[in-house]
Amino acid sequence: MSKLTTQDSVATLERPSDAIMWTRGLEKAYRKGSLSVPVLNGVDLEIEEGSFTAIIGQSGSGKSTLLHLLATLDAPNAGEVHFQNRRVDNLPAKEREKLRNEQFGLIFQFYHLLPELSTLENVLVPKMVQDGFFSYIRNKAEYKKRAMELLEMVGMDHRITHKPSELSGGEMQRTAIARALISDPSILLADEPTGNLDEENGAEVMETLDRLRQQENLTVVMVTHDNDLAQRADAVIHLAGGKVI
Amino acid sequence: MYKLLLSWRYLRTRFIALASIVSVTLGVATLIVVNSVMSGFVFEMKTRLHGILSDVEIAAPLLGQISHPEVHMRIIRDVLGDDIQSMTGVVRSPAMVTFNVHGRQMTQQVMLLGIDDESFGQVTDFHPYLQNENKKEQFTFNLEESGYPDYVSNSGWKYRRAKAQQQKRIDLMQREQQAYYDSVAAEYLAVSPDRYQQAAYTQPVEATDGEERDIEYRPLPAQAPDFDKIHGGEDGLDVRDEPQADVITSRDGRKFRKFKPYDAHAQFREQPDPEDFFDPEEDQHTGIILGLAISKRKTLDEAGNKKDFYMVRPGDDVQLIFATVGRNAKPVSENCTLVDFYSSNMHEYDSSFAFVPIKELQKVRGMMDPLTGDATVSSIQIKMKPGADLDKARDALIAKFPPEKYPYDIHTWQDTQRPLLSAVNMELTILNLLLFMIIAVAGFGILATFFMIVVEKTKDIGVLKALGAPSSGVMSIFLGYGMSLGIVGTGAGIVLGLLFLRYINQIAEVVQIITGTEVFDPEIYYFSEIPTIVSPWMVLWVGLGAILIAVLASVLPALRAARLHPVEALRYE
Repeated sequence: MSKLTTQDSVATLERPSDAIMWTRGLEKAYRKGSLSVPVLNGVDLEIEEGSFTAIIGQSGSGKSTLLHLLATLDAPNAGEVHFQNRRVDNLPAKEREKLRNEQFGLIFQFYHLLPELSTLENVLVPKMVQDGFFSYIRNKAEYKKRAMELLEMVGMDHRITHKPSELSGGEMQRTAIARALISDPSILLADEPTGNLDEENGAEVMETLDRLRQQENLTVVMVTHDNDLAQRADAVIHLAGGKVI
Repeated sequence: MYKLLLSWRYLRTRFIALASIVSVTLGVATLIVVNSVMSGFVFEMKTRLHGILSDVEIAAPLLGQISHPEVHMRIIRDVLGDDIQSMTGVVRSPAMVTFNVHGRQMTQQVMLLGIDDESFGQVTDFHPYLQNENKKEQFTFNLEESGYPDYVSNSGWKYRRAKAQQQKRIDLMQREQQAYYDSVAAEYLAVSPDRYQQAAYTQPVEATDGEERDIEYRPLPAQAPDFDKIHGGEDGLDVRDEPQADVITSRDGRKFRKFKPYDAHAQFREQPDPEDFFDPEEDQHTGIILGLAISKRKTLDEAGNKKDFYMVRPGDDVQLIFATVGRNAKPVSENCTLVDFYSSNMHEYDSSFAFVPIKELQKVRGMMDPLTGDATVSSIQIKMKPGADLDKARDALIAKFPPEKYPYDIHTWQDTQRPLLSAVNMELTILNLLLFMIIAVAGFGILATFFMIVVEKTKDIGVLKALGAPSSGVMSIFLGYGMSLGIVGTGAGIVLGLLFLRYINQIAEVVQIITGTEVFDPEIYYFSEIPTIVSPWMVLWVGLGAILIAVLASVLPALRAARLHPVEALRYE
């Protein structure tokens, strides 16, 4: 279970005992010309290992921005992000890239598969990024086996040579899930994974996610605006006006 | 790995890239073709320009002379040492050559060169450009029985004999005709004294007694000529006798005296032996070799196709008119027999040079001391050993024969053709520059295309970055993409260029058929085929240059891609 805490200061930075990821006083504002638009105003949260956490909130509540900060895709204006006992928001670019590649699995609302690559190749991309040319060639068979396993788990093993343009939305998202899992990440960060799917496909994707979570003992953080989906989660973080409520 | 894979996939799936590839391909192909043709052209032109020009020449001014050429040659050998391969003296004189074309006299201006049979061929590439097969092997100034090329196959002694016999028949016919006219006239005069009377005229003449009277002249009645008398037979007048008064008796019996001019040299003059009479069937004059273009004219056959007509051919006699040397230069003329053509395919030379034996020319121009046999020359031509520095040799000779003391012009063959050679070199440089601009334009094409592709791929770049790809990796994708565009375009360009060069003459023919105009007129250019030299280094540099331009053009778009913020890239719509 994750604890919901709202704090005004970031004075107490002692690590919560069982959290894999936690933040203190996260602030983020976007600049539009001379105007500064605050999005997050001091977010503290903790995510327990092995839990399924949903972050919900209205559009513009800053939930996607929060997820990006957690995934180290963006840097906060103030505050800290800790992951597995170390502060990650201020790591050098190289280390953050390594972290994203090896420890985080990312799933997006619009799947974001590479249109030039086949299903199988898309799943293998994180491995390609991780390895150099020769070590990839050396380990290709192993990676391919793992990718096939994952594709089988998400039920996409029959369409491995198809390009994303030949897949349905649900199929694309399931492929994206397989891609997120290829590196055996410690945490899966999903940004409205069903947001672009119809109900049936959305349910299917959610089932897949649930099943995998249990099979692989994954920690999952999911951003959604759908209260029904949030009900499936172990913990729900409500975000409004850039704060956890 | 993803960099290679994505570069490759972008190359295969983005047809807009094809436009960039095509422009690189065309640029590279054009550059290779133009460079190879120009290299071939320059090489052939240099070979031909060099042709009958020696490496280094020491020339006296026009109509001037270099006395004691052997001494000069010894000094030159001292100065240049072992770098010299061979030397020869040449007499050079502007001249007019006249020949008979269907009864009309054709006169052309030529540069007459008196050359040594043996040494001239060692100093210049003279022999390979002769047309007669035998003369290429063993050079003489004699007319040959055979070995003339197909285009003037009816040449040589056989042609000369046939022509001489024909001329003799014509002469005989004309004499017979004349004799007939003479007899008719004699008959007419005999029967018509009135006419004979009318033809008479009077002239005042001082008689022996000092008186002056009118003398009436009348033509003698026609009678058969007494050839014995004319040629100095038994009763005829002998020119070798003492000077004597010729007595003229008028019809009315009065006598007049008429003196023959005294000929002091008559007794020394050798009387011609009938054996020595010049018989064109068996004898030739001094041999002369003319540039082919002096004789050749273009004409049309019945079908309207171009063909060559030769105004004069080996076996024909031509007449040379040129000036003697010295202060009181006089024109002299000399009969020569054309023995061969010279064809370097270099129109400037082929239309102006004529070669005769140096000794004959020295004799006729007064360049030889009749007592000692010492002769002067117009220039000394030097062939250097391969690889010798011609400019250095020239400078050393100028130092030895400074213009303050010697009126010589010392130059290398390149100096002679300097304006042409430097013009060609400049042309080559500018062409290369312009053509490289084409590839640069292709580079800008790649730049524009890539910016578009980067914009199009913004989301993918965001995904890659989200998945942990470093900025350098994203940059490599686009640099690699640019490089593969460059490599593919260059490779295709090299293949296209080399194929074009392989079939360039056939292509020229096709273009000729389509446009109706000759692309590469051998009459204007120096060659019958388009010459090409493909330098592997040139191909390599062009290829590398093109690839480099493609990579450089992709640097900016790649940098832009690398700098994209992952979150903004993912949000990009």
